[in-house]
Amino acid sequence: MRFAVRNNKLFIAALVLGVVFGGMTFGNLPVTQYTLSVQTIDGETFNFADYPVLTHEELALFNYINELVTGQGYGSWEGWNAGEAFHGLLHYVLAFMAYATAEVFETTSGYRSDLYQNFAYSLIKKMNTTVEVYNTTSIQYTEWMHPSYNFVDYYWPEAGNASGLYVGGFRGPANIMWTAHYALMMALYERNFWTGEMNDELSWFVSDWNNTLTTDGYGNSKDGGIFNCGLIPCEPYIVFVQCNSIPIYCTVLYDNMFGSGYFESGMWDEGLDFINNDMQDQYGLFADGYYVMEPFNYTQPLPEALPQTFPGLSLDRYIRDGRPKVSSYCNAWSETFLEYVQENETKHDYPIFMEQFARDVANDQMYMMDSYNNPSGFGVYDMLGTLFTMALAKQQGDFATLARLVNFLYEPYNRVWSADGRQMYFDTSSFVGFLQVPLAFGYLWAHAPVNIRDLADSRPSAFWNYPYISQADDDGIWVYQAVWDNEKNAFILNVRADTAATLTFSNFDHVPTAYAGGVSLGALEQVGAQYTLTLSPGTYNIVIV
Amino acid sequence: MNEQESTKVLAEKSPEQQTSRNRSQITVLIAYVVLGALLFVVLEMIPMPYIVVSLFPLGFRPAIVVIAVVAAKRGPIAGFLVGYLGVVLEGLLIYGVVVTWTLPAVAYGVMGLIVGLAHYDLTRGRSLGKLAVLSVIGFVITILLSVVIGLFVEHYGTMVAIGLVLLPVLTMGLFTLMFLTPVVGRLWQLVIDSVKR
Repeated sequence: MRFAVRNNKLFIAALVLGVVFGGMTFGNLPVTQYTLSVQTIDGETFNFADYPVLTHEELALFNYINELVTGQGYGSWEGWNAGEAFHGLLHYVLAFMAYATAEVFETTSGYRSDLYQNFAYSLIKKMNTTVEVYNTTSIQYTEWMHPSYNFVDYYWPEAGNASGLYVGGFRGPANIMWTAHYALMMALYERNFWTGEMNDELSWFVSDWNNTLTTDGYGNSKDGGIFNCGLIPCEPYIVFVQCNSIPIYCTVLYDNMFGSGYFESGMWDEGLDFINNDMQDQYGLFADGYYVMEPFNYTQPLPEALPQTFPGLSLDRYIRDGRPKVSSYCNAWSETFLEYVQENETKHDYPIFMEQFARDVANDQMYMMDSYNNPSGFGVYDMLGTLFTMALAKQQGDFATLARLVNFLYEPYNRVWSADGRQMYFDTSSFVGFLQVPLAFGYLWAHAPVNIRDLADSRPSAFWNYPYISQADDDGIWVYQAVWDNEKNAFILNVRADTAATLTFSNFDHVPTAYAGGVSLGALEQVGAQYTLTLSPGTYNIVIV
Repeated sequence: MNEQESTKVLAEKSPEQQTSRNRSQITVLIAYVVLGALLFVVLEMIPMPYIVVSLFPLGFRPAIVVIAVVAAKRGPIAGFLVGYLGVVLEGLLIYGVVVTWTLPAVAYGVMGLIVGLAHYDLTRGRSLGKLAVLSVIGFVITILLSVVIGLFVEHYGTMVAIGLVLLPVLTMGLFTLMFLTPVVGRLWQLVIDSVKR
């Protein structure tokens, strides 16, 4: 024994040190805590792998952002790491969080207890906070009235000439970067929960956009609308493809939900023509911004550079030879949201976009440059471009690219789980704390098995009669799968209960029976017109027929 | 029989026997390279635990140990090929990509090349230590080459090169090679010895 030890000193030392080091660095392994079984009930086979599923991590990330959204007042930003430097990004965080979580809700469309609905509702309220009520913590302040913007009163066609058309105001036709997101959040809320509560305000915005795009602002019909290009500006002098992709998408969803014909009437025809022909770079990708008028106190760039013209495409900041400004986040965002209305353009542009903006870091990692005119730079906008491209890559079915983008964005951070194991986030505090929340919902839109394009379709009217979970002990369960299979007339439920939990089902027209492993668990208990299922702690693949 | 004796014996053999032996050695080398490259890919596919300290991941990346051990057993050509093919196959099989005309794969090949230049007796602690040290040196050169390729061929950002390639890959790789290479090298030798017996 002594001889063996003496002759293998280095081996043993390395082995011991390796074990110690390995033990100290054991973490961040992906968690899989659900099973996907196959069950046969009365000759009908149910393969859980055929139904959309959310992972344990995705649900834990949702729980994390839910705590931030519904766990505090609408004007509170505690835990958001929202320093002063990020005031202009807060409303985007809320909006894209709403879109990412809408994908989550759609994945388990039969799980519509208060948990998801309250979350979506609170996000909308948080998006609509005013200075009058919430002062400097309001979105109206951070997005519009903040001193660094001071967007208060604007007129068309000269911004400072009060005799022109008034286009100023937080809710006005020169702030599409807020009105569109706010409206789409409401539209998705109605799409997912169908309460009717948001309909009036949503309808007002869609109608207002229609006026902006098809009239001169004084009630007279006019091609190209107020701003002559068929698009709506923000900031408030510039039209962006990405910002206008949101109201375009929202208009289509609105039409799909309510049977109106705004989009078919050609409301966005001029705008789509403008972005596809005029707002283009040399590769046929979208340019990042077009000035519709000269901003207050605009200062031209360096004297040797070509001057910015008004109206005109926003010029590139790095190579000042007159080429348009471009960005990966603009293209990824726009292509994602516009695919529903112009699928061929997105399919055509996607490979070109990847060729021009993507940078390989290693086999398993890549990122999107903010601008191909500045390949050596790296900053927040490169990360934003990467974040937005995840959604686009998933929507294109380009899962290898998606995995490489995810690896790049997420590998530098530890997964941090709450003590009770209900919440998880990626700890970005050693880099940029503000990224923590965007990375949380970014992970959802990178992984949830539903795309932005899918959400533009409204649910069929029969959907609202399908059986669904209307109440549940949400704090003690993990709902990985919950969907009504209308072909097989069965409810598919993949759930884990941490504690004893009760789920209440609505819309069953008969006394349903639950099965697990093909064996009957018995009929659900009837409570009025509803039925309850009580679960002991454990993980279940349940079919309810 | 040591290596010099083996060479002497080889020289005394007939041309047919030498040809046969050469073929046999080439076959073994190819087998090592193919199996090594595949093992590299498989190990890269398995999620490994790690923790991040100030953006720097700490943990083990066992795949790179395969390059070092194959290089130690079969020499610089085998080491180079395992590193090169392993990285190329990983890109193709897992992600369907060939990154920067396989230049990063060449960088990993260089690690195998450097490790394979020395002779090792993997039953001896001193030789295992030499293997660990040369692996670390080879890996540092690999990463520096990767960064140069990234900066001047792939043209990615300087911050990406330093903050997201150089330092994180180094922190993962150095500890792996220091601790795991001697252990795996010794175990590999034990397995071979037991098979021979």
